[in-house]
Amino acid sequence: MNIAKQIKTLLQEAELYHSQGLLDEALVKYHHAEDLIQRHEQLKNRLKLIDAVSKKIQHLKNEIQRIENAPKRPEVSAKKQDLIKKLFTLTPNMSEDASALEGAVALAKFGQFKRAILEFKALLKKDSLQVAAAKNIIRCHMALSSVDDAVAEYDQWLSENIFLPNQLQRLRTFFENVLNKEGIDKILPQIKMSADDVETIIHIPEVHHVKAQTYEDDRLKNEEVKIEDDEDLDINSIGITFDSGPLKEQVFEFKVRFQLGNVVSLLISGREKDLIEKFKVGTTINDVQYYSNIAFFNGSGLIASVKKIKIGPMRGDYCVDIEAAIS
Amino acid sequence: MAIFNFKKREIECKIVYYGPGRCGKTTNMEYIFKTFKKQVVGEMVSIDTEGDRTLFFDFLPMGLGRIKGFDIKLQVYTVPGQVQYRSTRKLVLKGVDGIIFVADSLAVRREKNMVSLKDLQHNLKEYGLNIFKIPLVMQHNKRDLAGQGFPIMSVEQMEKDLNRQLKVPSFPASAIIGQGVGTTLKECLKLTLISFRKNLKLGR
Repeated sequence: MNIAKQIKTLLQEAELYHSQGLLDEALVKYHHAEDLIQRHEQLKNRLKLIDAVSKKIQHLKNEIQRIENAPKRPEVSAKKQDLIKKLFTLTPNMSEDASALEGAVALAKFGQFKRAILEFKALLKKDSLQVAAAKNIIRCHMALSSVDDAVAEYDQWLSENIFLPNQLQRLRTFFENVLNKEGIDKILPQIKMSADDVETIIHIPEVHHVKAQTYEDDRLKNEEVKIEDDEDLDINSIGITFDSGPLKEQVFEFKVRFQLGNVVSLLISGREKDLIEKFKVGTTINDVQYYSNIAFFNGSGLIASVKKIKIGPMRGDYCVDIEAAIS
Repeated sequence: MAIFNFKKREIECKIVYYGPGRCGKTTNMEYIFKTFKKQVVGEMVSIDTEGDRTLFFDFLPMGLGRIKGFDIKLQVYTVPGQVQYRSTRKLVLKGVDGIIFVADSLAVRREKNMVSLKDLQHNLKEYGLNIFKIPLVMQHNKRDLAGQGFPIMSVEQMEKDLNRQLKVPSFPASAIIGQGVGTTLKECLKLTLISFRKNLKLGR
């Protein structure tokens, strides 16, 4: 193929790729064409051609730049945010509060931090979720690069009567870790405590929530904020006391077979029909004792899943996942 | 993970269009939205960005009518194809029941197809799903571009690159003119419903 024809083909291909939105591929073709034109001085209208192709290249580079510089996670309309919440709150049969938390987490995952902060703030009023909500508020502010807002938020929590002193201490530790990880040197306001409060902190280890953001197992990388807690406690076994039904006030102890974050997995014999009946997905057991190597803690547990084992030596038994919340 | 609502006798399932950037996932969905009016039960929502690239996802709700007394509701999604949106793709993939992998027939996109399929396998694995077991259909899109002077790969080449091990049903398509779009979706639905039935039997 002669040079002029080769150049023409390359330019046509570049145009075609451009029309398909394949900008990098188009750019390669234009560069190739430009190179050929420059190397063949005998070409008619060579300078004009070089000029035309250079303009095309520049135009394409600008377009690529514009796409690359566009915000990766822009705030979308409230209607679309509502849709994100609705579509990505997937866990079935969960309580209204837990569902609200999952919705707020979904918003944060999609980079809708401002709206997520509003939703997390509403959850600060819910006792069981307030620490998780507070941590996620800090995360969202950090994702928005608004460290000062995060500090101001924390400062406000100190002056309000929302958190217990030991919860504030945990939030402070969490926040300091986040700042350290980001390499930000910031001194957080001090927690004002009475002697009684100090006593409380000493006697209750920092385990109010084993891992508050329970259903969150996606490690969000790169452009996304991490919406999760990272303070897990190894639980060896748990004791459950039922408050209703035929098993009322009976205590059942289970060995923890597996633990992922604050979700503990138990194995229950398929023969224990009455017991299995008590584990309904989405329900919360209010009286649960969690035993760790350090101490034992009272709390509640949300039944996250109940699966019948279909193969292997445990066939017919049930694997029950419980999301722990220690109070 | 399909949601069964026995009280309402409703099954809700999720189909996701996956594939490299600019392969035609959104075009597939737009065609479905325009053509399958009877089955579409709401608006198609696109969250896109500069250059008409999908930013988060496209979403289309559909209803397939009743099968064995159950109302089948379908949520169809596309993922953003650009490499940098890996974590968003993973989010959208959560709870998926059936996948349509849209491969780009353009020869210059050969590697991107393979990278995207690998990415799909990886993301599924992180949810404990196996690409060899999940209902999956492949679409070789943009077959019409051969006529416009684009160098495209042969179907055999694409099958060898992408489907040699998977051996899933695959269809040539030109989503822009609707060719192969319906067939691909129907096959994916068929596989998904068969998979439900199997799982239901196992669960009994």
